[in-house]
Amino acid sequence: MDLTGGRLNVIAEEGEQQDFSRQSSTMEAYRAVPEPGERTFQRFSVNTNESLRFEPCEDSCPSPTGAEDGHDDVFDKGEYEDEIISIRNQLQGKVTEMENFAGHLEEIFLTVEENFGRREQHLEQHYNDVLQTLSQRYDERASGLQEEKKAKLESLYSQLLVCGQALDASKELIETAQEIYRCQDKRLFLKTVMPTIKRVEEFAKEDVDLALSTGLEFSTPIADLSDVKTMMDSINIVPAPSAPVINPQLPNSATQTSLHVCWSLFSDDTVEYYELYYRPVLEDVSAENTFAPQESKIKVKETHCTVTDLLPNAQYELWVTATNTTGISPASEKALYMTVPSPPVIKQRECSSCPEAALIRWESGNTNPVDSYTVELSETGTGGAKSNITESIVAVPTCQCMIQLQAGRHYLIFVRAVNVGGPSDRSEPISISTTGTFFYLLEDTAHPCLSMSEDGFTIFYGDEELPITAMAFEDNTFTRCVAILGDLIPVRGRHYWEVEVDDETEFRVGVAYKDADRDSYLGANNSSWCMRHIRTPSRHKYEFLHNGWSPDLRITAHPLRIGVALDYDRGTLSFFNANLEQHLHTFHCHFQNYVHPCFSLDNPGALTLHNGIAAPDYAFI
Amino acid sequence: MALTQVSSNKCAGGFQKVFEHESTELKCKMKFAIYLPPKAETDKCPVFYWLSGLTCTEQNFITKAGSQLAAAEQGIIIVAPDTSPRGCNIEGEDESWDFGTGAGFYVDATQEPWKTNYRMYSYVTDELPKLINANFPTDPDRMSISGHSMGGHGALICALKNPGKYKAYDATVLAGSYSGPQLDILIDQGRDDQFLSASQLLPDNLIAVCSEKKIPVVFRLQPGYDHSYFFIYSFMNDHIKHHAKYLNA
Repeated sequence: MDLTGGRLNVIAEEGEQQDFSRQSSTMEAYRAVPEPGERTFQRFSVNTNESLRFEPCEDSCPSPTGAEDGHDDVFDKGEYEDEIISIRNQLQGKVTEMENFAGHLEEIFLTVEENFGRREQHLEQHYNDVLQTLSQRYDERASGLQEEKKAKLESLYSQLLVCGQALDASKELIETAQEIYRCQDKRLFLKTVMPTIKRVEEFAKEDVDLALSTGLEFSTPIADLSDVKTMMDSINIVPAPSAPVINPQLPNSATQTSLHVCWSLFSDDTVEYYELYYRPVLEDVSAENTFAPQESKIKVKETHCTVTDLLPNAQYELWVTATNTTGISPASEKALYMTVPSPPVIKQRECSSCPEAALIRWESGNTNPVDSYTVELSETGTGGAKSNITESIVAVPTCQCMIQLQAGRHYLIFVRAVNVGGPSDRSEPISISTTGTFFYLLEDTAHPCLSMSEDGFTIFYGDEELPITAMAFEDNTFTRCVAILGDLIPVRGRHYWEVEVDDETEFRVGVAYKDADRDSYLGANNSSWCMRHIRTPSRHKYEFLHNGWSPDLRITAHPLRIGVALDYDRGTLSFFNANLEQHLHTFHCHFQNYVHPCFSLDNPGALTLHNGIAAPDYAFI
Repeated sequence: MALTQVSSNKCAGGFQKVFEHESTELKCKMKFAIYLPPKAETDKCPVFYWLSGLTCTEQNFITKAGSQLAAAEQGIIIVAPDTSPRGCNIEGEDESWDFGTGAGFYVDATQEPWKTNYRMYSYVTDELPKLINANFPTDPDRMSISGHSMGGHGALICALKNPGKYKAYDATVLAGSYSGPQLDILIDQGRDDQFLSASQLLPDNLIAVCSEKKIPVVFRLQPGYDHSYFFIYSFMNDHIKHHAKYLNA
């Protein structure tokens, strides 16, 4: 069927009216002629005005699961799951950040209010002071003026009085004189005229002071408002800054020995420099601790500072002040910051693995407790090249972790310690291979007469007779049977390991429960199962012991390499001559608890453990 | 060669059949039992030859030993021939239970009047495998041999005389001066087996020789068990698994 310029039979009617030319470039990747049996999909182009036209499928509809049309990748959950998980983690991280930020915002809000409240208050007070001073001066001046007025009035009044008196006196004199003048009685006239003329003469001699006693003008002294001026001026002076706001610790800003501290100023103050104070928060806050921790100070121009030379996994109290020409601000609130812990140390000889999992144990690496640990693993190629696949297990509460892994791969595993300051650096890695089961021997279970090679995989029972007193028995060591247990990973699956012996070695190898009686022999109790080799001058004898009982068996070819296969689900423990691939014996038992590989030497000799070997096919038929 | 089916019963998902044919080695009609597991319907399967003991026919093993379930599970064909030529009308053939009829001993007789018919060794090692491979879905490179009592002896001598032919072996008889590809021999012996206590069975000799010759043998003395098919039944599974390890590798 030719779709370029052709017609589709199914919509033949519409086809007559519409243009089927497919020359437009909007239909990309559209096959012109579909192969027979191949599917074409319903497509519609969005960019043209043909957008709502549908072409029916050539064949049947695409399969709903995509399974038949080969486009399976849409349903490949694998990668999308990882993406989803990482997006979810990111979102969770963001949510935490936002919550912290919201809390911090509240603090800032309150501080700003406080700061501006204070500024307001300060301003009000300032202006109040000025106003008060001014009104005080006014009062003073006003009352001064009043006083002056009073004084002037008084003096003028008294002058007036005097004048009045003088006037009265003159009036009286004049009246008297007039009377005398008018007196018809000449004798009386002569009698009184002389004293009266004398009086008038005297009176006339008196200078009448007509000068005003006081000036009519008021003096206007220059008001001394200099201090008011100073006060007014000081309003314009920059006040000492308000307290800065110290930020809470940002995640991932701290290292083992340093902290990155930030703060902000929420007012318009000018600041010349800041001073950051810090001191360690000691655990011991008992009363007798009179020696307070020393506080240190750093002068800084920026609003952030990196404090170095600190102890790891330690809490510090920090606060900051701002200083300008006017003075120093009050101290900010004290913030608690924490340095990141030191990296943990993986205990190489206490880790074990099997094809499905690994158990990693480590030491904290810090004297004080940390919040949690993060375990990181990355898969390495067989050449040791690191791939980008890294997985993290967070919030591990104790110093060990069981990790699910895939069989037949190589991994590098790191641990970090985490506290509020963030995660520590990575520890030194441990290399884990999930080929076969791998474990070390538990040294603290070894009978004192047993010694171990440096790599930890060969045990020796020496010839020298150690006196009983020289043997240091602990709670966990075997006391009679010269035995040792192995640290098998507690995973109920299939495990395989091999034991190398020589022709003469008298040994017992098998498994035992962790609480197997340390005073008895392997296989002599019901918590251990083992293959035992006894050497007589003429031949080899073998026993397969559990609870003191063994089947009666003869083996003609002495195994120099014994394969031990443990299957928890089937409840079997099998022994093989690994060199001949020959099956020797199988115990059938439902193992109630986890078991540990056990090894003993019944006479001086040595045996070597080989593990990390993929179980041969015949081991678990 | 023409095979006539005598019986067929569905068993453990497969078929337990009995066939009859004219044997060129033994010059008479011979029956054999063959168990075809479910896997034989689609694939070629390895073959496990079972040699029965004195007085047995092809019936005893298929009715009393309980081998079919394990064979079905492991995908192995089990062929159990009769223990001797029958109806040959040789004088004295029915006189004793442990000589003549039902007592082929899996050897080729060298003397008259037995040597014409009593050629069980050649029958088991030559004619029968050819017949089986021609008529059934077998993998001719994978065969093993096992047996009980006289048949155990037979299995051992067949294996020891044909190095590399059989992939796994079982026997209760002295080993010879074997030199060939490595064997892996599993032997079970009932402790209460009357033949053992009568010293008719001498496993210690076998073990001693095998130890010396470094022939790998695991010999298990099973307490309470006797010589009967109840004993065979109890350990049949272990033996089929032992063979399967090599047949299915």
